[in-house]
Amino acid sequence: MNANNKRNSPPQGLRRYALASLLAILSIPGNLRTTQAENVDLSTVPSRDSVQLTIYNSEDLTLVRETRVVSFKKGVNPLQFSWANTQIDPSSVELTILKPADGLELLDTTFPHDKPQMLYWNVQSEVDGAATIQITYFTSGITWSADYTAIADGDESTLDLEGFVRITNNSGEEYENAQVRLVVGTINLVEKIAQLAQIPMSDVEKLERDELYAFKHDAARRSLALAEAPAMDAAGGMGGGAGMPAKAKQIVKEGLSEYFIYTVEGTETIPTGWSKRLRSFEASGAPLKIEYRYRPREYGEQLVRMYLLANDEKSHLGTTPLPDGVVRVFRDNGRDGLSYLAQQSIKYVPIGDKIELNLGVDPEVVFELVKTRAAREEIWTQIHGTDKFQLVGDDARRQEVNSSVVGWNDRLSYQQRIRNYTSRPINVEIRRPYDGHVTFVSDLAPQLHDFQTVELATQVAPGEKRVLDFTIVQHLGTNAKQSNVTLAANKAN
Amino acid sequence: MLIPRLPVLSLAQTMAAALLALLAISPSEAWARVKLITLPVRERVEIQLDNEQATLVEEERIVPLTKGENQVDFSWANTQVDPDSIVFRVLSGEEKDAPDVNVLAVSYPPNESALVWTLSASNAGSARVRISYILGNLNRSVNYRAVASNDETKLDLSQYLRIQNLANEEFGGAGVWAGFGPKFSKPIGLNETKELLVERFKSVPIEKTYACNPQEYDYLDRAQNKLRVPMHYVIKNDKEHGLGAAALPFGKVRIFIAGGGDDPQAGTAFLGEDWGKFTPRDDEMRLYLGVAQDVVVKRTIDKNEARRISGNLDDHELIVKYEIENFKKKPVRLDVTENLRHLRGEVRADNGRDVEWELGPATTFQDGPDSERSTAEQLTFHADLPAASPDGKAEKIVHKLHITLKNEW
Repeated sequence: MNANNKRNSPPQGLRRYALASLLAILSIPGNLRTTQAENVDLSTVPSRDSVQLTIYNSEDLTLVRETRVVSFKKGVNPLQFSWANTQIDPSSVELTILKPADGLELLDTTFPHDKPQMLYWNVQSEVDGAATIQITYFTSGITWSADYTAIADGDESTLDLEGFVRITNNSGEEYENAQVRLVVGTINLVEKIAQLAQIPMSDVEKLERDELYAFKHDAARRSLALAEAPAMDAAGGMGGGAGMPAKAKQIVKEGLSEYFIYTVEGTETIPTGWSKRLRSFEASGAPLKIEYRYRPREYGEQLVRMYLLANDEKSHLGTTPLPDGVVRVFRDNGRDGLSYLAQQSIKYVPIGDKIELNLGVDPEVVFELVKTRAAREEIWTQIHGTDKFQLVGDDARRQEVNSSVVGWNDRLSYQQRIRNYTSRPINVEIRRPYDGHVTFVSDLAPQLHDFQTVELATQVAPGEKRVLDFTIVQHLGTNAKQSNVTLAANKAN
Repeated sequence: MLIPRLPVLSLAQTMAAALLALLAISPSEAWARVKLITLPVRERVEIQLDNEQATLVEEERIVPLTKGENQVDFSWANTQVDPDSIVFRVLSGEEKDAPDVNVLAVSYPPNESALVWTLSASNAGSARVRISYILGNLNRSVNYRAVASNDETKLDLSQYLRIQNLANEEFGGAGVWAGFGPKFSKPIGLNETKELLVERFKSVPIEKTYACNPQEYDYLDRAQNKLRVPMHYVIKNDKEHGLGAAALPFGKVRIFIAGGGDDPQAGTAFLGEDWGKFTPRDDEMRLYLGVAQDVVVKRTIDKNEARRISGNLDDHELIVKYEIENFKKKPVRLDVTENLRHLRGEVRADNGRDVEWELGPATTFQDGPDSERSTAEQLTFHADLPAASPDGKAEKIVHKLHITLKNEW
C-alpha cells in the first residue's frame, strides 16, 4: 500500500492500484495561517494490519474482515473509505472499533452522492491516541472450488486421493497476506432458506432482488458469527529448516454447526486475475472396492465399472466432508506410468459416506441381455355389450365371436449374459426398473430395490461366461391390478 | 543467462509445452523480477492412448533447484493441455543427491496458458519430475489389413495404430502405448500422422458366410421374390482361431484376396472395405464383402391361415418357402434368418406386442434354429447347398419354415 500523504482530492492514481483504501482525514486547525485555503484537509492512509477472507463456494460471496490502526485526535475524526473498481457491496461495509474498548464512538456514516464507491465515517474520540478498527464488507469475484486427483495402484486394491482447493481472485482487489477461510457446503443456501422461511411465503415473491441479497448477506453474517476467527496467524509454514524442505501449508478443517470451514495455514497473496491451488488433504492407500453396476436410470444403458471407497478414518480420510468438485481418476499402469480412467463431478460427500467413482464401460466385460421367449397367458375376453368376461383356456377354448381381448399376461424369458475377460473375479450388481404390474420370476435371489426395481447381484470368475435366467410376467389390460413388481421363485419343474 | 520474464512467453510460443525453472536471484531485493531461467529438456515422454476419450502425455524432466523455495513455470501456448488435469510428481531415488522436494502450491496467472509450481527443496540439486496431462488433438485410430487366402478359408490380419498429431506439439522419441499390443518408441513430429503395425495374425481361420434376412437385407428383386444374399468373412476372436488375446478395437478393414497362381502375392486383388466393429473376445467380427450373385434365394409365404380362438383372438399359421439354387462350383452354407415381428408385419397389422410362436412339423431345416444366434424374435437356420454340377446346373433346394404366431389380436 502506498503511504503517500495526499490532499483530500480523490487520490485517483492511488485508487487504481490500491483499490479499497482508508483515509484518515486530518483537519488542520483553521488558525494556522500558513495556507490560504479556509479548510485544508490532509489525509493519511492507514495500512491494513491484517485481512481475512471468508470465501463461499455455493454463492459468489466473500466476507472481507480487515483491521487497521488509525490515530485519532480528541474530537470528531472523519474517515474516508473508498473502493473504486472493486466488487464490494456498499451496503455491507461496517466499521467496528476493536481497541480501545471505550472512548471511541462511530457517530455516522455518509455516502456522498457525487462520489460513488466511497463513504465517510465520523468517529468521536475522547482522547488522542491510536486505535485498532475493523472494517468488514462483502465482495464478489473471489471464489474457490475443490478438485481431486485419485490414483489407484496397479492392482486396484488401494487408491491415493488428494484433495485441492483452488482460490480465484477476480475481485479487482489484491488482498496481500490475507488469512483465507473457505466455507464448505451448502450452508449459504440453507441459511438463506432459513431466513426466507421466517417471512410469509406470499411475501417471498414480492421481495426485490436487493432484499434477497440482503437476506443472503444477513444469513452469511449470522453463520460467521458462529465461526469467529481463530487468532490471526501471520507466520506461514514456509521456513524450510536445515535439510528439510518446507511442508505444504496445512489446511485446518473445523466443523461448525452444519458446515465446515477450511482455514489455510498462514497467509496468502493472490493477485487479482490469478488463481492458486493448494492441497487440502491427502489420503494414501485408501482401500478400494470395485463393483460393476447396471443402473439404467443413473448410468445409462450400460454396465459401468465403479471404484467404491468411503470418506472415513479407515480410508485415511474422514477428516472433512468432500466439497463438490471434479475428480480425475488415474491408475498406475504397471509400466512406470499412469492410465487416465475418468473424470467425474462428485457432489458433497459427508464424513463417513461413500465415494463412488464411475469409470465407464469396461471393454473386458461383456454384458448382454437376450430375450429368449415370449408367451401370452391368462387371456381374458369381454363379450361385447356386456359385463361378462371369460378366461381363454387351452382346454376350453370358446368360439365366442362377439368378444375382444381385454386382459392378458406377457411371460418374457431373458438371459442376462456376462463374460468376464479381466484377470480377477468381478462383482456385478444389476438393477432393472419395470413399469406397470410385473412379477419377476427367478431363482437368483433377487431383491427389490424399490417398488418397481429388481436388484440382482452375482460374482463372475475370470474367464467365466455367466448366464442369469429370469422371467418377467407383465400383467396387462384388465389383468393389471397394481403398479409394482413382486418377486417369485420358479415353480419346481 | 539473465533474462526477464518476457522472453519466457516468446519461448513458450515456439516450444509449445515448456517447463521453466525460475530461480529468483535474491528474493529480498527489488531485482526479484529478474529471473534466471533454465529450460530443462524432456528426459522421457510417454503417450498413453489406452483411453479412447482422452490422451494422456507423461513427461519427465530434470529440474535444477536451489535450496528453499523455487518457482517452476509450465506453459503450453497453442496446445490443448487441460490445465486441471496436470499431475505433478517428484520422482525419488533416481538422481544423485536429489533434494527432498515438496509442492507448496500451484498458481495460475491470468490470461495465460501457464501455471507456476511453488516447490520447496531441502538442498540445492536436481530433481526428476514427472508431469502428466491430458492433451487434446492427439488422436488414435485403428485400422486393419486383411488378406484372405485364395480358397477363402483363412486370412492374414494386420492391425495398425494410426496416431494423428494435431496437438501442435512435437515428441521426439516418445513411448506410445495404445492400450493393446506392444509398446512403441517413436518420434512424432508436428502435424504428423504415424501408422504403426501393432500386430500381425497369420492364417486366421475364417468362415465365409452367405446370408439372407428380409428384415435386414431386403429383397434383391421383389417382383421375382429374390432375396438379397450378402457375403461376409467372419473372424472369430478366440484362441481357437489364433486370436482372442484381446478385444479387437473398432476400425476400418481393407480386405484383399491372394491370387490363385504360383505367386499368390502378385495376384492379390482388393475385395473392398468395411468397418470392423469393436469385437470382444469370443465374439465375431463380420466383414461385408458384397452381394452374392450365384446363390439365388426365392422366398414366398405359402400359407397364411388365421384360426380364431375366441372373439378377436387368433392364431396365425404360416409357411414360408425358400427355393434356393447354388450356381457356384463349390458347396455353400446359407444362413436363413427370419425376424418374426417383420414376418408378422407381412401378414397382419403390427400391434407392437411380442411375438409368441411355435414351430410346426412342416419345418424342413433339420437342426432347428441355431440356438446361439436365435432369440425370442429372430430365428436363424442353416441350409447346406451342394455345388452346382460341372455343366453349371444348380440343384433346387426347397426349405420350409412352418410357424404359428399365437394369440394375436
